[in-house]
Amino acid sequence: MKAEIRAMQEAMERHGYIADPAIATAVFLAREMKKPLLIEGDAGVGKTEVAKVLARLLDTELIRLQCYEGLDVSTALYEWDYPRQMLRVRMAAEGSDPSLTEQVIFSRAYLLERPLLKAITRREGSPVLLVDEVDRADDGFEAFLLEVLSEFQVTIPEIGTIRAEHVPYVILTSNRSREIGDALRRRCLYLYIEHPTLEKEVRIIRARVPEAGERLAGQIGRFLQALRQRRLLKSPGAAETIDWAQALVRLHRDELDPEIVQQTLGCILKDRNDLRDLTPSDLSPLVRQARGIEVPAS
Amino acid sequence: MSEKSLVVHVARFARALREREILVSPADEVDAVTALTLVDLSDRAEVRQALRVALKIRPRDAGAFDELFKRFWESGPAAADPGRSSRPASPPAALLRRQGAAPGSEPESRDLERDVAVGDLPGYSPEALLRKKPFEECTESDLRAMERLLERAAYRLATCRSRRLVPTRGRGAVDLRRSFRKAVETDGEFLRLARRARAVEEPRLVVLCDTSGSMDAHTRFLLCFLLALKRAVRRTEIFVFNTALTRLTPWLSPARIGSTLERLAAEVPDWSGGTRIGESLAEFVARHLDEMVDGKTVVIVVSDGLDRGDTAILGAAMRAIRSRARRVIWLNPLMGDPRFEPTARGMEAALPFVDLLASAHNLESLERLIPRLAA
Repeated sequence: MKAEIRAMQEAMERHGYIADPAIATAVFLAREMKKPLLIEGDAGVGKTEVAKVLARLLDTELIRLQCYEGLDVSTALYEWDYPRQMLRVRMAAEGSDPSLTEQVIFSRAYLLERPLLKAITRREGSPVLLVDEVDRADDGFEAFLLEVLSEFQVTIPEIGTIRAEHVPYVILTSNRSREIGDALRRRCLYLYIEHPTLEKEVRIIRARVPEAGERLAGQIGRFLQALRQRRLLKSPGAAETIDWAQALVRLHRDELDPEIVQQTLGCILKDRNDLRDLTPSDLSPLVRQARGIEVPAS
Repeated sequence: MSEKSLVVHVARFARALREREILVSPADEVDAVTALTLVDLSDRAEVRQALRVALKIRPRDAGAFDELFKRFWESGPAAADPGRSSRPASPPAALLRRQGAAPGSEPESRDLERDVAVGDLPGYSPEALLRKKPFEECTESDLRAMERLLERAAYRLATCRSRRLVPTRGRGAVDLRRSFRKAVETDGEFLRLARRARAVEEPRLVVLCDTSGSMDAHTRFLLCFLLALKRAVRRTEIFVFNTALTRLTPWLSPARIGSTLERLAAEVPDWSGGTRIGESLAEFVARHLDEMVDGKTVVIVVSDGLDRGDTAILGAAMRAIRSRARRVIWLNPLMGDPRFEPTARGMEAALPFVDLLASAHNLESLERLIPRLAA
């Protein structure tokens, strides 16, 4: 393994993110090649977290653009500060401000910077720009994003073209609720995050919920690994694992039993049908399996 | 490895990927070469990761990628250079291979086979077929009539509105940005307010079409239907299934509807075989549901519901589809028969999750369907 990639992996781990070599390699390449990184994977596998930890380890600002259906340029890029512009125009009309020209009210002072513009105009080095859940935005917005990401410049008709001072590190995430357009995908590097392996999952629990003992962490990990083998509508991700571990620690448990699992199942299964399909008789073998090594079935 | 040989290897590997239908562009190849110069080339796992990242390999292609990577980079890149001969000539050929078509189903025996298949249909007799005149053969004019019909259908389906706001001349919410822009021209007086309203969205369709033996009599007609649909509604994904699921969309080019139809139709009788509706739909749910179906998507299943598999699987798959899609429509060609009742086991399992069950065996039935498509 290349020393820099190992260093990246260790740095991410120091900042609380357990990265497997695939993730470390992708983040390393994105940084070196100065290309946006598109991350896909099921909900809760830690896509957004990659951007956060990258910002922390580069010691830079994280600028986040949350996408949603109907997201438009005025929310993502810039908006004019209408009330202030209006006030200024009114003052001029009443003769108290003769210095008004169109350039004044359409200057940077009246410009509200939204995340994309903010990421481009940041002076103090490259920020991390997180475009979260890009699959939720419309196709039209995707095309616009493509333009921004390829040139790192933005044209505002009233002002002119604004070029990036420092090209931001860009992370895009997608839950694959729809297929991301080919053009945008090609512009990025691509990482698909799988559900964690048992070993990684236990390390995640240990790192994020240090109060959970080794035994509990191991049992939680094995339980989730077994659970994901089932046909589920919504497979629990690492985020759910962490929630559950925290819940169990709060309840002062140091190992799993069918009763406590049944009571706290809502932490990991968030679909009514999944909850209903997992009957108590399904649950106890799963719990037994999770406890397996420490407590041999008597 | 020198940079030059790296370029050659990546180019060869990319070609091999493309032959496996994993689309890799020249820009991706450039990324791959750059990425490889940044990683430890003696570390196989790392090379594999870097290539996956740089070539943008999606999870659904991961299996084929890994297999090819193994052949290609682990046995030495030069050794494995799969020739073009291994590539399937046409989609039906690929289908055939996967589904293990019966040998000897040559074009000459096609008519005979179809007759046999028709005879097998429950609730169906050759006379009934004759009377109803379904589209055994689809002529150019039929195709055009169907296209006109489906354009109207598409319009009905398009009643869905997006949350995106677009400028409108009529009623709508005030668009401050444009209003203000206009007001500046008139010394800050808002003489006319600009407005915007929610955009009308193009519908998204996913069609899952049964091509098993019991559907044979209708396959030509349904192919016309699907091709016309694809032309009327741009964002249509088409899958066919009998014992396995195949994505047909990449093979259907609306521009060449005639030749596509000919090419596919030439192979149609060979598609017949057993049905495993449940497993096929479950595969769709597992591999494509998240990406292709959302709250704006209408899912159309075309099948007779004669499932030889486990109906519990079918029920679960339909439930998953129902929970995501805007509407689920089931078109059952057998409904053309007046004696029809949805008693096929598969049909029974699917029915609770279907918004609209309708027949689709001739143009007339499609015409009746259109007004009911509006959500």
